[in-house]
Amino acid sequence: MNTPSLLEGLRFVDTFFPSGGYAFSAGLEAAVQGGAVKNADQFARYIEDLLRGGMSRRDALAAKIANAAGSTGKVSATLEIDRRLDATKLSRESRMASRQMGRQVIRVAADQIKAKPVLREYLDEVESNRAPGHLAVTLGLTLGACGWSAEDTAAAFLYQTAVGFVSAAMRLSPIGQHEGQCILGEWLPVIERISREVDSDAEMSSWSPIQDIYSMRHGSLEWRLFRS
Amino acid sequence: MRVRRGEQNSASQKTSTFPKRKRSQRREPSQKKNQPTPSLTEFVGRVGELRLRYAKLDGRTVIAHSYFTTPWKLLPPIYLDDTGAAYTLLINPSGGLVGGDGLSIDMTLDRDAHVLVSAPSANRVYRSEEKLSEQLITITVGPHAILEWLPEHTIPFAGSRFRQVIHANLAPGAAIILWDALASGRMARGERWAFTHLENEIHITTATGASLVEHYILDPATDLGRVGLAEEWDYVASLYVVSDAVSPEIWANLESKVAEILGKLPGQVLGGVSTPAIPGLAIKLLARTAPDLTHLFELLWAAAREALWNLPPVSLRKY
Repeated sequence: MNTPSLLEGLRFVDTFFPSGGYAFSAGLEAAVQGGAVKNADQFARYIEDLLRGGMSRRDALAAKIANAAGSTGKVSATLEIDRRLDATKLSRESRMASRQMGRQVIRVAADQIKAKPVLREYLDEVESNRAPGHLAVTLGLTLGACGWSAEDTAAAFLYQTAVGFVSAAMRLSPIGQHEGQCILGEWLPVIERISREVDSDAEMSSWSPIQDIYSMRHGSLEWRLFRS
Repeated sequence: MRVRRGEQNSASQKTSTFPKRKRSQRREPSQKKNQPTPSLTEFVGRVGELRLRYAKLDGRTVIAHSYFTTPWKLLPPIYLDDTGAAYTLLINPSGGLVGGDGLSIDMTLDRDAHVLVSAPSANRVYRSEEKLSEQLITITVGPHAILEWLPEHTIPFAGSRFRQVIHANLAPGAAIILWDALASGRMARGERWAFTHLENEIHITTATGASLVEHYILDPATDLGRVGLAEEWDYVASLYVVSDAVSPEIWANLESKVAEILGKLPGQVLGGVSTPAIPGLAIKLLARTAPDLTHLFELLWAAAREALWNLPPVSLRKY
């Protein structure tokens, strides 16, 4: 990847990007309140389990497939994987969070990277409700259009997700910044391995029943800091 | 079991039993070119087909057409109450699935039919060194028809390789309650999460073409296929209640009721409910014991029947 491509894509991964991700915890808040995550070790295991079982063959797979469309300009496979992703996200809050963040990405990307008409084309699909516009898909499409490889795109998506969880955990539990960085460092080999091993030709699948359940339970919490 | 030369004991080289299936139903290549074509007798007793079509006739749901091959058996429907709903038990007297078994069910409910389906016992999947045990279920629920799909749970034995696919298509006004549960193994033997491969796909599509999908692939020997944190539980289950003929208020009330039920056994059952991308509810739960799982299922099922159709619970009369 050349430096302009790197920089063009980095801003979509950066926490400064206005995706609204700070408002979502993907069920982590419910897990903390439910006692499943009480300390840094439990948090690290909980999210690593989610990245590996829940997101690898689903969201990371979607990001890889969308990446190919971003570079080739053909959106049909992306539409299909976006709809499939929507069908597999059974928790309303997590599904809507992913769609909201994804729409922010594709709006900015289509507006600013005009040399890649595929982004505008996909934004039209999203705005007309023909595509859900999930984050993994729109980020994958955008980074593909920026010239990132499928593997780097999947890694960037997972890294961004992991950072979001660390950020949420620091607000929900007694985890400090230094501890958060240590945990993030421990996840890097996992993220690298997932990004490399996930096969774009495989069918989408996901296994994270505990995290799925806490994500479903979030909506009925009595008090909430996060929207998911 | 016959083992072909050159085939290895690897989850990545599983072979499918079904001799002829559509490409869209295949997930993996079946056989290599230089392998001999299996004779049809190889499939006798191993590839079982059950085809059922239900129709509403004079206020009762009846079996309008049926066809089955070994090991499936079919008894006349049972009528559990005065609603005319037909209750069918899925009977497989062979006791379970071994490697190479491929069972299929193709079920169609005509307009206004109401069918309950269950099984007399758990679905056991035996150890297999090479071949998958497969169960493919295709369901079509006609306009304003109701299907309550309530099988017993699946028990994957140590070393088993199982694949289940359930595709349900709903016509306008149709409704489905679909229960699917998995045990970690034969707990009494201390056998938990010891299978070699387990794949489960549930795909419910409504009349608009929108879908709900649950699809997991567990191959514990691989990095991405581990059971993970769920290993501390012994049962994993899903209950889907889907219909485009139910008002948002009814769904909201049922969701609240389900959340209340799921909180009844804290520490013993962990459950959640939410609204999927199609009209209905998705419920997932983990349980530590079969009695807890059964108890919660009965409460959830009763709540759904009452909310959707104002029907009381019925006893499935299996024991």
